[in-house]
Amino acid sequence: MNKKLNRRGFVKLLTKGILTISGGLGLGGIIRFFAYYKNEYPANEINLGPADQYPLGSKTILNQVPAILHHTEGSYKALSLTCTHLGCTVEDSEGAFHCPCHGSGFNADGSVLNGPATQPLQTLKIELISDGTLVLYKQ
Amino acid sequence: MGKRLTASIIFLLGMIVMFWLEGRRPDPVELLPSISGEPEYCLTCHQDLPEISPSHPVDIFGCVVCHGGEGLALDPDLAHSTMRGEKNPSDLLVVEASCGGSTCHSGSPTEDRDHIQRVTTSIQSTYAGAIASVRYSFGAQNDLIAHMGINAVQDNNSATDISFLTAFNPTQETQSSLLSFAENCLYCHISAEPLPGEDYARLTGCAACHSPLSPDGETTHTLTTAISYTQCNTCHNRGNYSLRDMQYHPREDQYSGRLHEYYQPIAQFVRCEYTLDCIDCHTRSEVMGDGDIHNNQDEIQYVQCRTCHGTKTELPRSYTIQNENDPAFRFALLNPVIDLSVGDTILITEHDEPLWNTRMLADGTYELFGKATRQRFVFQPVAGTNCGQNPDEQESHYCHQCHAVER
Repeated sequence: MNKKLNRRGFVKLLTKGILTISGGLGLGGIIRFFAYYKNEYPANEINLGPADQYPLGSKTILNQVPAILHHTEGSYKALSLTCTHLGCTVEDSEGAFHCPCHGSGFNADGSVLNGPATQPLQTLKIELISDGTLVLYKQ
Repeated sequence: MGKRLTASIIFLLGMIVMFWLEGRRPDPVELLPSISGEPEYCLTCHQDLPEISPSHPVDIFGCVVCHGGEGLALDPDLAHSTMRGEKNPSDLLVVEASCGGSTCHSGSPTEDRDHIQRVTTSIQSTYAGAIASVRYSFGAQNDLIAHMGINAVQDNNSATDISFLTAFNPTQETQSSLLSFAENCLYCHISAEPLPGEDYARLTGCAACHSPLSPDGETTHTLTTAISYTQCNTCHNRGNYSLRDMQYHPREDQYSGRLHEYYQPIAQFVRCEYTLDCIDCHTRSEVMGDGDIHNNQDEIQYVQCRTCHGTKTELPRSYTIQNENDPAFRFALLNPVIDLSVGDTILITEHDEPLWNTRMLADGTYELFGKATRQRFVFQPVAGTNCGQNPDEQESHYCHQCHAVER
């Protein structure tokens, strides 16, 4: 069975080897090209977890939204912390909100305290679902 | 068989090159700026750039809204192919597309926020005074009224007598001196490329003032309102233009240090003028224009010593900040050198521009914070001093007669 490899056989084997390596490289390149995953767009619905995490009277900054969640008597209210001027995140400042980018100011209820923003902070829809968790809708 | 082997070797080499190129391609870094809501991949290569200013955070603005370009392209040539103003989107040729818009710098004129219109009609852009003066000197026009600017500009709501300027076109001038003027003397308006040399190095457009170069002359990804006198000096105080030979003549004296850099030997000045930076005294409308077309620099530059110091009989103008909407807060936010509060009394100019970096103190003196240096200065009004100035002689040059610094 010890068959001697002649020149023709060697070239044939070499050609097959080269084609196999080339195919592997090509396949690898294609896999690599398609392996890129786009960043996921921010979800519109955000599960805030069990409602009892937010006791009555609490005000919680939700950085992932960004918003502030206020648990008042009998309801939850969420106020967007996205400045209505150009979209920077406003900062809590002694009960009011202040935009660090261009200086807009908002009262605690989201109404405009000073410009350049002209529109109040957006109130976001929030829902207490049957399993006792809160779901916030960004739009 | 030899042909098959050759073809397979060529195929292998092709695959190796493709794999290598694919390996060199960086993993795309996606940015989803909230202002546009459209993804862009500029950060794939430009993650090392610092944020340009606190007012323009990259996660809000992204890159494309200011710079243009192909935000989805990963090939550098393609990505940069449609950029506005190359590295400088604030060049006046493209500034409206880059920095304009009703919520940005073309905003409401009633709120004094139409910066682009103000700058494009300002003396720093039109160079109207120099053009009128030289054309008048050589008989090309009969008066010293501005008729021409570097670029044609129009202002239908001008509070001055000038509602438009046509573009200065030296090829239509008959005087050879005006051709020389155009060739040798138009390096200082903010659309002009500066003279060669590190003393003159600056960008054009808004960036001429707001984006200082690094000490080694490199462009920086910076927008600032804390503008040092050194930035003003890229056009000012470096030399003089001569009508005699229509050439620019750099200063010949050896100068170093703030005092000597600030003023040429022919000028008179007092200590506070060189201790402070230009923008500590000169206001936004003086420097960036007030939205109207003016004949020359003298018409727009109005701040005098008395603006801050008053006169022997009158304290400087001031007002007490009544609420959070006061524009002084907006200016102080952009360059937080002073912590203003409602109830503070600050100085205000004759044209009602707040000198927001000042504050009246309880003892009747005033404090001023350097906008570029952040240094605190305390100064007093002229009223109540032994100053013997004539009430009819209140301009700064009269103050210089007694208070000028010897050097």
